Amino acid sequence: MSDLAIRRGVAPALAVEGLTYSYARAERPALVDVSLEVAPGEFVLLAGRSASGKSTLLRAACGLVPHFHGGEVEGRVMVAGLDAIGAGPGEMAAAVGYLAQDPETQVVSTTVAAEIELPLEMRGDGAADRARAVEEVALALAIPHLLGRAVDTLSGGELQRVALAAALVTRPRLVLLDEPTSQLDPVSGDELIWLLRRLNEEWGVAVVLAEHRLERCLAAADRVVAVEEGRIGFDGEPREFLAWTRTADPTLMTPAARLFSLAGIEPLPVGVRDARRALEGRATTVPHPGKGSSEEISPRPRFPRLGKRDKSPRALEAKGLWVELDDGSGPRDVLRGIDLAIAPGERVALMGRNGAGKSTLLRTAAGLIDPVAGRVAAERMALLTQNPSDYLVRERIGDELPGEAGYAALRAVGMEHAVDADPRDVSGGERQRLALAIALAGRLDGEGVPGLVALDEPTRGMDRGRKDGLVALVDRLAAQGAAVVVATHDVEFAAAFAGRVVLLGDGVVIADGAGADVLSGGWYFATEVARVLDAPGVVTPEHGAALLAGGSP
Amino acid sequence: MRSPFAYIPRRGPLQSARPGAAVTYLGALVVVAFLYSSPFVLLAAGAAACIAGCLAGASKAVRASLRMGLALALLIVVVEALVVDRGETVLLRAGHWPILGQVDITLEAIVAGTVVGLRAAVTIVAFAVYSACVDPDRVTRALRPLAARSALTATLVSRLVPVAAADAARLRDAARLRGPGAAPVGKGPLARRLLAGSLDRSVDVAATLELRGYSLSGRRLEQRREPSRHDARFYLAAAAVLAAAIVGKSLGADDFHTYPTIQLGLGPATAAVSAVVAASGLAPWRRSGRRV
Repeated sequence: MSDLAIRRGVAPALAVEGLTYSYARAERPALVDVSLEVAPGEFVLLAGRSASGKSTLLRAACGLVPHFHGGEVEGRVMVAGLDAIGAGPGEMAAAVGYLAQDPETQVVSTTVAAEIELPLEMRGDGAADRARAVEEVALALAIPHLLGRAVDTLSGGELQRVALAAALVTRPRLVLLDEPTSQLDPVSGDELIWLLRRLNEEWGVAVVLAEHRLERCLAAADRVVAVEEGRIGFDGEPREFLAWTRTADPTLMTPAARLFSLAGIEPLPVGVRDARRALEGRATTVPHPGKGSSEEISPRPRFPRLGKRDKSPRALEAKGLWVELDDGSGPRDVLRGIDLAIAPGERVALMGRNGAGKSTLLRTAAGLIDPVAGRVAAERMALLTQNPSDYLVRERIGDELPGEAGYAALRAVGMEHAVDADPRDVSGGERQRLALAIALAGRLDGEGVPGLVALDEPTRGMDRGRKDGLVALVDRLAAQGAAVVVATHDVEFAAAFAGRVVLLGDGVVIADGAGADVLSGGWYFATEVARVLDAPGVVTPEHGAALLAGGSP
Repeated sequence: MRSPFAYIPRRGPLQSARPGAAVTYLGALVVVAFLYSSPFVLLAAGAAACIAGCLAGASKAVRASLRMGLALALLIVVVEALVVDRGETVLLRAGHWPILGQVDITLEAIVAGTVVGLRAAVTIVAFAVYSACVDPDRVTRALRPLAARSALTATLVSRLVPVAAADAARLRDAARLRGPGAAPVGKGPLARRLLAGSLDRSVDVAATLELRGYSLSGRRLEQRREPSRHDARFYLAAAAVLAAAIVGKSLGADDFHTYPTIQLGLGPATAAVSAVVAASGLAPWRRSGRRV
């Protein structure tokens, strides 16, 4: 009998029975007759499209639903013997750690150290215990350098790690995470998943993780629960889940599984290691990691793509751009002499680890921040910033986007059905699309198309189907001459849309090249297909399948 | 860019003092502003709040709040002058206006509006100094024994202004970045969204506080004793201000009437109360360390 089966004999970490829930003023229930049991020490991945009910299920498990959201609820939710619906989040705090989708809404202290220490203090832990726990969780999440910082000076990704640290610091028996990697760079995202697996294996912490980027965490999960329109659509092991996605919902398939599916290889792999093992011994040789036949990457020129005599038109041009930001403890260099030129019609992914300067570069180009040295010029720039809620001012979506131009923008992001909804009542992914519509309203066609469209982390909360829609929108804008720059941590999305990838590191450009080259040449900033095949320039399942079939990618 | 009202940790006496001491001190100035109508005392209270903020290193918050306070005061003066027709010194007969009827602008109404505006300005400046100098984390902790079952109460008291201040800058940026086909956002909708959003965000923060165990009824918190040698001076300053205000009031220091004609007294009692109140602004003064 496996450890898991033995643990399933004891009281479950989470037991949901016949849960049906409707938000106040909602037309239809967010959850319908959901029953689910999570054993102590189990790692469960919640999959599903945007607005399918994943976040609501997590909120119910920690008592926020219905205590903070109101609405009507039926059924039972038990966490470690406590009735979550009766007790509410305050009582659940001893047993549950919860990380919501928007880290901005869940920091309550002034400094990072105080934020992480707060749950321990509330629990009554002594000073020495608190200090040790804060240090350990900060080391585990690679944020010791942030401990002294004010929380309102952190980037989105840094904030997400701090909120996660505060959720984990008490070592709760059940950890509920709602898209915890959505704003993390690939390095931090991978490390987080393995940290959770370690907590799960060594400490018996049950983990329930809702995520759109399944390729990041499928291999670590014991079980996958797919939520479809508020109901449990699938509940089983990861490999069975991949087989289920083929017929039920192909958009939930991971890139490696799609690669195998397109190439006609069985069974579908749950991760990179699984895929590489399956390909060993096949006629198509998969090069060993690090032994790829790619050409030596030439050193980055001092002024990439900026020739002194090059008079071609530019949608964005930065020369020696130097930006300092003051986080209250004195000015800090965020951009350090950036040289960059982007031509009209180019599709560029701006990547780099959290705090590398991606958002600062876009905000400086939009004139929201003044550089201390150098210059930047952008032609008729449209910018979507990181927090979509900042764009939502009115109580009806139709009032935000009136008239023909507004409706066209809503239609472009697939939100035309929600004209009468309150922006605060839609899901995180829908809010993101709505903010995009507001930023682009009147700029989608003809004379209104901007010279430069910049989107800062636009895929948060979006499922693959919606991301494909965003790629189509980017194509539409680029086809009309707009340069599109997307700051993103989502390597799969970058591979799908970007012709060029600019990698920032500590305020400087460290790589700048064709998307397929940059995203196939590394360990972290590489797509899942690139990590499986390790073939230069092969980053998407379609190209990979062509390679496996014997053709050229 | 950080809001001027955001708390910034500094090593000043006002920041080091316990929240109770700082709130008592700044609250005493607000109490005086509501207790007195004499412009001399009100100006003294305003000066004290400004001096205190500047000495505490929050001069940006003082400047920003003065701009807000004086703009609000001006609005109050205009409304009072248009709406109130009491007073014998008519400066302008502005004729018949829709809704308002006959409008006579009187000197007395302008002065009465100025007094109310000054009162509002003093309150805004004192609150800005509180927001910029008193650590909200310590306020939340201090409130826990008083409002252990209500994270929302604690949040509203300690977080509403910092949360609103942080949101305001981002909302302004987002308003500038809206597409031409989106409904434009004027100052009114932005202010409404800021207020509603701040309440929403405070509820979010309250939910997080609950999830962090704010209302856990487990063993008593190990109280962080963070005594400050500066506590006493702020309690003393507050006591001196309140005592002077109460005694002065009974001695006729608030000798000021606006209607039907303006009567403004500046007797020894008024001068003494004004001097004590203004001098209390020096409480956050920090002596330089002795050099060897």
